[in-house]
Amino acid sequence: MTALVQRQVVAVRTPDGAQLHATVEGDDSAPVTLVLAHGWTLAQGAWDDVAAELAPSVATGELRLVRYDQRGHGRSTWGTTEPVSIDLLGEDLTAVLARCAPTGPVVLGGHSMGGMTIMCLAAHHPELIGPRVRGVALVDTSAGELHRTPRTAAQRLQQRLEPGLLALALNRGRLVERLRRLSPPSARAHQRFVRGLLYGADASDAMVRRGAEIMHASSVRAFAVFYPALGAHDQRDGLSALTTVPVEVLVGAEDRLTPVRHSRQLAEVLPDAVLHVEPRCGHMLPQERPALVADALRRLLTRAVEPSGAR
Amino acid sequence: MTSARTPSPQVGTRLTPGQEVGVAVIGSGFAGLGLAIRLRQRGETDFLVLERGDDVGGTWRDNTYPGAACDVQSHLYSFSFAPNPDWPRTYSGQPEIQAYLQATAARSGVYPHCVFGAEVTDARWDDDARRWRVRTTAGELTARVLVTAAGALADPAYPDIPGLGSFAGTVMHSARWNGDHDLTGERVAVVGTGASAVQIVPAIQPQVAAVTVYQRTPAWVVPRGDRPVSSTARRIYRRLPAAQKAVRGALYAAREALVLGMAKRRELLAPVGRMARAHLEGQVRDPQLRAALTPDYTIGCKRILISNDWYPAVSAPNAEVVTAGIAEVRPHSVVTRDGVERPTDTIVLATGFAVTDLPIAHRIAGRDGRTLAEVWDAGMVTNRGCTVAGFPNLFLLVGPNVGVGHTSMVYMIESQLAYVLDALRTMADERLEVLETTPQAQESYRQLIAARSQGTVWLTGGCGSWYLDRHGHNTTLWPDFTFRFRRLTRRLDRENYLGTPAPAGTRPEVAA
Repeated sequence: MTALVQRQVVAVRTPDGAQLHATVEGDDSAPVTLVLAHGWTLAQGAWDDVAAELAPSVATGELRLVRYDQRGHGRSTWGTTEPVSIDLLGEDLTAVLARCAPTGPVVLGGHSMGGMTIMCLAAHHPELIGPRVRGVALVDTSAGELHRTPRTAAQRLQQRLEPGLLALALNRGRLVERLRRLSPPSARAHQRFVRGLLYGADASDAMVRRGAEIMHASSVRAFAVFYPALGAHDQRDGLSALTTVPVEVLVGAEDRLTPVRHSRQLAEVLPDAVLHVEPRCGHMLPQERPALVADALRRLLTRAVEPSGAR
Repeated sequence: MTSARTPSPQVGTRLTPGQEVGVAVIGSGFAGLGLAIRLRQRGETDFLVLERGDDVGGTWRDNTYPGAACDVQSHLYSFSFAPNPDWPRTYSGQPEIQAYLQATAARSGVYPHCVFGAEVTDARWDDDARRWRVRTTAGELTARVLVTAAGALADPAYPDIPGLGSFAGTVMHSARWNGDHDLTGERVAVVGTGASAVQIVPAIQPQVAAVTVYQRTPAWVVPRGDRPVSSTARRIYRRLPAAQKAVRGALYAAREALVLGMAKRRELLAPVGRMARAHLEGQVRDPQLRAALTPDYTIGCKRILISNDWYPAVSAPNAEVVTAGIAEVRPHSVVTRDGVERPTDTIVLATGFAVTDLPIAHRIAGRDGRTLAEVWDAGMVTNRGCTVAGFPNLFLLVGPNVGVGHTSMVYMIESQLAYVLDALRTMADERLEVLETTPQAQESYRQLIAARSQGTVWLTGGCGSWYLDRHGHNTTLWPDFTFRFRRLTRRLDRENYLGTPAPAGTRPEVAA
């Protein structure tokens, strides 16, 4: 047998009792660790295509790869903290770092809510940025102002109704789950909806189906309690810590959830960040353009292990 | 490896040099113990139970792994002639079942007939003396009748994994659990996803750092309706044994209905399959894990497992199900065929038992000196799962085609007990010294089993299982309603036996 890839599953305990399901691949002696944080109602499986691109580097011992399910997502449990916030996810990420990458240089990659998670970590633990975190990739994400001030009467009405609807969905979780099962990811209408919301022109049916399956596996609770948390996320003033390390900002030109202006804003606040707007893509770049995302990560990884001073 | 079992307060007897006995029984599990109890109930004393362990209980004495429990409701999984109104739960755990067997053995006065630490190393028929010459690790004896109740789930099956011997951590088989070994905080590999694994993994998952389940074939799993038995119900059972009997009958009937689907009309299994699928989909959200856990064969082909906590346990944050197949074991890790190496502290082999090649069959030699295993090389043949031509005065309990996956094994054992007891009675009544079945009887029984197995889900459900031997024949399961087996074994089919009378002037009685 040729080179073996080390792999282990770790349950990371957070201070408030959540257990985060993490998968650690690669040799402990690898010079750098990449930690990937997924987006809202997704799970670590959303990084599978990017991980496949990076697998050769993991196999040769150049890289350790850590993927984890955010709390309440995938196999990770909920802690006791309520209400949840993206700041809390940032704390979770520090717990993942402490447990799965306690020493050595680290590169963080975040997709959508995972990107916001990294921003929160940077805002509250700036001491980690530089000494430990040597590079950050922010994919299809935003620093804040996701729920815009309503302009029309309809938008105002929607905003008024939202909290009630979410509470209703939470209280009637079982019913909503049953209703969701009526339209599984295999249904054409389901896939059409997901494609329209999240994917760009180049997305294949298989890609959409896979993404839809991951999202279908997430709970009504994850949808409902993180929706307001995403709206409350605002790190436009908390990004300063990230000015000290290389940052890659990537976004699909057809992203409807975190449109390009959000990434442009990030690039403005982080003048040294590299911004890439990918045409014919939506909000799911890790699936739609895994090679592009992997290339950006590789650039960061390479710089992370360069002798100091190169930064 | 020894378990942390407390020594039995009951002591057995010892063999004396040159000892001769009417009936020698190998094993003291449900089968051997059941026969001993029935013999005692008839006032017999000329028998011995040869037990390799240090107490009665067999499978239920040996399987002390965490979470060990029975998949059949206790009201049904117990002797009809020794009801227990005090079962604490619908499905009892290993400690309760073992305590029941010990208490029943003690109450029935069979402990004085048990020889513990007596593993049968070889038993051969001495045709001149018309006796079985039995050698054990506790001495030798001569028996007029030999009954092997060594069981099918007795000897652990160890997988042939390269490097397993080089593993630096602890390796333990589910049936040889080391209760002293603390798994807390360890990375544990569990090999297998059968009935034992489904019980072990939920029991250890909360305490271990990580549990990796190495799965070859996923099992169909249905919900387990397990509840404590209320004190009111227990009071009723104590005062009104007929009530418990009625519950037992209802459980029996409900389980027997499964045979309709498994052996008669396959489409009747569809609702059971739907129930199992809904159970899986309700408990496992992760699409990849769900796919890995979805069987590709008809439900019932392999044993249907019942559990409410297996799926949650393998979906836990510290769990992983690996389907890639184990390539080798290294001193500190398990390597799968996809080139992934997982650091591992302890390996749990939940790989079941040697069922289709019974170790005891290699130790019993008949009239022509050949062992049962040699005679059975081309396939196990018997008359009614109980006797074999060329092996006079030998009776098998829990032998070929007596197994059941859908209901209580105790029901089948009791059917066999009736048959053996009637054979002993016949020998006494007719003053026979030797009783032996015929090859013709075996052949027609083989045909009966083959015909009844035809088209059953076990043969055609699209799976490999421990029910089938290496020739693909069903040699393990009774392929029909169990009440038909009972009818077939109610009395000795005297026409299928040749009897040799005892020479005049000798004492021919054989424990009857």
